[in-house]
Amino acid sequence: MGIKKVGLNRNVRPQTLAEKIFFLDFIKGLKTTIKHLFRKVITVDFPYEVVEPTPRFRGVHGLRNVDGTEKDDFDAWVKKLKIKPPEKGETRCIACKFCQAACPVPDIFEIKAKKLDVPKDHPHYGLKVLDVFNMDLGKCMFCGLCTLACPTICIIHTDIYDLSTYSRRGWVLDKEKLSKIADDFIARRGSEKYDEKSEWPDYQRLWNEADLARAKAWENNPPKLGPNYADQT
Amino acid sequence: MSWISEERLKKLAERFGFIKIVDNPQASVIEVPKENLIDFLKFLKEDEEYQFKMFIDWTVIDHGKKADPRFQGVLILMSPKNWERIIIKVWATDERLPSLIPLWKGAKWAEREAWDMFGIKFDGHENLVRMFLWETYPYHPLRKDFPVRGYEEVELPSLNEKERFDQLEGMMNYSRKHTALPTLEDLEITQKKRMPNKKSQMVLNWGPLHPGTHGTIWFLFDMEGEYIKDCDIIIGQLHRGVEKLAENLNVQQIITYTDRMDYIAAINENHSVCIAGEKLLGIHEKIPEKAKYIRTMMAELSRINSHLLWLGTYALDLGALTMFLYTFREREKLMDIFEGITGARFTINYFRVGGVYADLPYGALDAIEHFIKELPERINDYETLLTRNRIWLKRNIDVCIIPEEDVYEYGLTGAVARASGVPYDLRKIDKYDAYGEVEFDIPVGEKGDSYDRYLVRMEEIRQSIRIVEQCVAKLRKMSKNDPFFYEPEDKKMKITIDGRGTKLKKGEVYAGADNPRGELGVYIYMPKDGIKPYRFRLRSGAFYNLQVFTKAIIGRPLADAITLLSTIDPVVGETDR
Ligand code: SF4
Ligand code: SF4
Repeated sequence: MGIKKVGLNRNVRPQTLAEKIFFLDFIKGLKTTIKHLFRKVITVDFPYEVVEPTPRFRGVHGLRNVDGTEKDDFDAWVKKLKIKPPEKGETRCIACKFCQAACPVPDIFEIKAKKLDVPKDHPHYGLKVLDVFNMDLGKCMFCGLCTLACPTICIIHTDIYDLSTYSRRGWVLDKEKLSKIADDFIARRGSEKYDEKSEWPDYQRLWNEADLARAKAWENNPPKLGPNYADQT
Repeated sequence: MSWISEERLKKLAERFGFIKIVDNPQASVIEVPKENLIDFLKFLKEDEEYQFKMFIDWTVIDHGKKADPRFQGVLILMSPKNWERIIIKVWATDERLPSLIPLWKGAKWAEREAWDMFGIKFDGHENLVRMFLWETYPYHPLRKDFPVRGYEEVELPSLNEKERFDQLEGMMNYSRKHTALPTLEDLEITQKKRMPNKKSQMVLNWGPLHPGTHGTIWFLFDMEGEYIKDCDIIIGQLHRGVEKLAENLNVQQIITYTDRMDYIAAINENHSVCIAGEKLLGIHEKIPEKAKYIRTMMAELSRINSHLLWLGTYALDLGALTMFLYTFREREKLMDIFEGITGARFTINYFRVGGVYADLPYGALDAIEHFIKELPERINDYETLLTRNRIWLKRNIDVCIIPEEDVYEYGLTGAVARASGVPYDLRKIDKYDAYGEVEFDIPVGEKGDSYDRYLVRMEEIRQSIRIVEQCVAKLRKMSKNDPFFYEPEDKKMKITIDGRGTKLKKGEVYAGADNPRGELGVYIYMPKDGIKPYRFRLRSGAFYNLQVFTKAIIGRPLADAITLLSTIDPVVGETDR
């Protein structure tokens, strides 16, 4: 086993007499602090400056609508669960409750589907639509398991982190609110996070390099992002 | 895996006829009758060949109401001579077990915890009081017949929310009933019971809400002037029953709860659960190379993160405010990297049993390299400020020495053990993930004073940088299409990234990772295949390290309490679980 011995007289010299008399230890320390006096400010002045969360950031949930970027097996899932095939702009949720099954705190969710009330000869006869989708985010710990379980990439994390309300009722989001959150997010940053099949692409970045506030926290010397692996471009 | 060798185990069984070797491929387990336990342990501890003198864990399994006997004690020991482990099980007939305090002083808190959680009495324990809950609490929550939600019997009207006179319905409404809460009298009784014999004039309460205690720890000091004569610690203000919760979750869901234990180094906590889960499933050698290196790299970054926070707050406690600002500047960058890779800054939940949940995003390795390149220079800066500063030397050298025997007696792990001269490091012993393939040294201190603990941690940061560099170099050579999650060839085995249906195998295992705060070991006991673990024990390094505080502080002035606590560096989320 590689062992490195540390300790006074082992890898640290004790103070010499000259150091003791002339306070050299303090002077050296002051040199370091004075050096910092001439550095640029790194404090991000929230809320006047805001660091943009990274694409992977796990914030408030959203429910995505159908927009033509579904996965290839989306129709198969819709058929399997006897859901009315959604039009563009309708929710992707197929009420499979996989998200609830993966969640460590299942009572966050309230998911119900209802049968369509149409006559027998209607093409949608016997099919269902999503009726209720409530999430109590007051109990959520933003672990991301639900989003990994969703077969249609319907439930997603957005970059919203401010969830303060005056009462706990504000933490319960229904499906309209959730859909709106997701639509906003996809319009703002969808292409950063998802490719045209709603998967995480390998060009998904660590963070947005144009973000000046983040660069400030990195002492205005942020890393230049490049490919990770030998065969990545 | 470092378990007692087959041949030594056989020899042991020949010598002691009463030993029963349990058939278990993942760990070496023996059963010993209660009458012979103490003599047998004495032999194990003192015999030249075995020398199982290091205490690791001592806990209980509840086999359910119908089983007779119902409870079983589980003792895990380590031999520093051969670096190997053994699990010893003993039936607790009449809900009683012999106390192990004469053999290992560290058993004191473990037994109090077992009494608190299971209601097992220990014969010969000097003061068997509860560990986490208050003294008048009527239940023992880890018993199988105690419901997960507890008994909701106190009315707290504030839980029920009304907004402008409307009665809220469904999810928006909360039940008015709450599980039991301690009242002031309860706390007073608890405090008296914890320190029954006052030795001197005054008992000083420190905490539970004092910034110097780094969380909600409540210290009781029996003081003679400036000097501490006796000490006890009341913890449990942050107890959430993670072990109980874990019994009702699948293994990937448990990882999210460990995020909330040692929240400073959440990645390392996740790591422990993954290592144990993989060992139990027997897939620890088949984890994809890429996942192994990513995990090793992230775990070391998290160690740096944790040590930076430790250094900042420690120096702040001893009066050096500037350090705090400097280390937080560096830490902020690390948090940014974590946020980009995992999606969260604090409660990470990135590792999975079987790998990690996603590959690295574009640019991750560049950011890590950038950070690692400038860190050594910053650490040199910190060291010029502190290491040879006369105030720093005066406040640390020879303060609260923890001798080598105490490491074995109390089951100390992590930097605290290494500073006392014991090179105990699971990364070298178990070689989990990529630790067998990267090069690094274990820093070892000389005498175990606070200064040694400081130097050991500083050196650990440097060694972590070394490991991260090697991991980055290795990852650079891999392909973007390499898998990051293990796909079982065996059709019967099911492991998923989201955790649905992830199944554990019959057997029992103890495994863990070397975390910034000591060894977080996970003991999983599965009587049959299943999704939920039957018993999920978290052996917290911070908990056992904190225990030695009560001894090392005796005879020291009050001002040293801050130094000692900072150099032990517990996190209350992990001690309380
Ligand atoms: S983020 Fe985690 S806790 Fe929150 S809803 Fe999803 S699975 Fe449940
Ligand atoms: S997993 Fe996705 S599709 Fe299924 S119920 Fe949840 S949000 Fe809807």
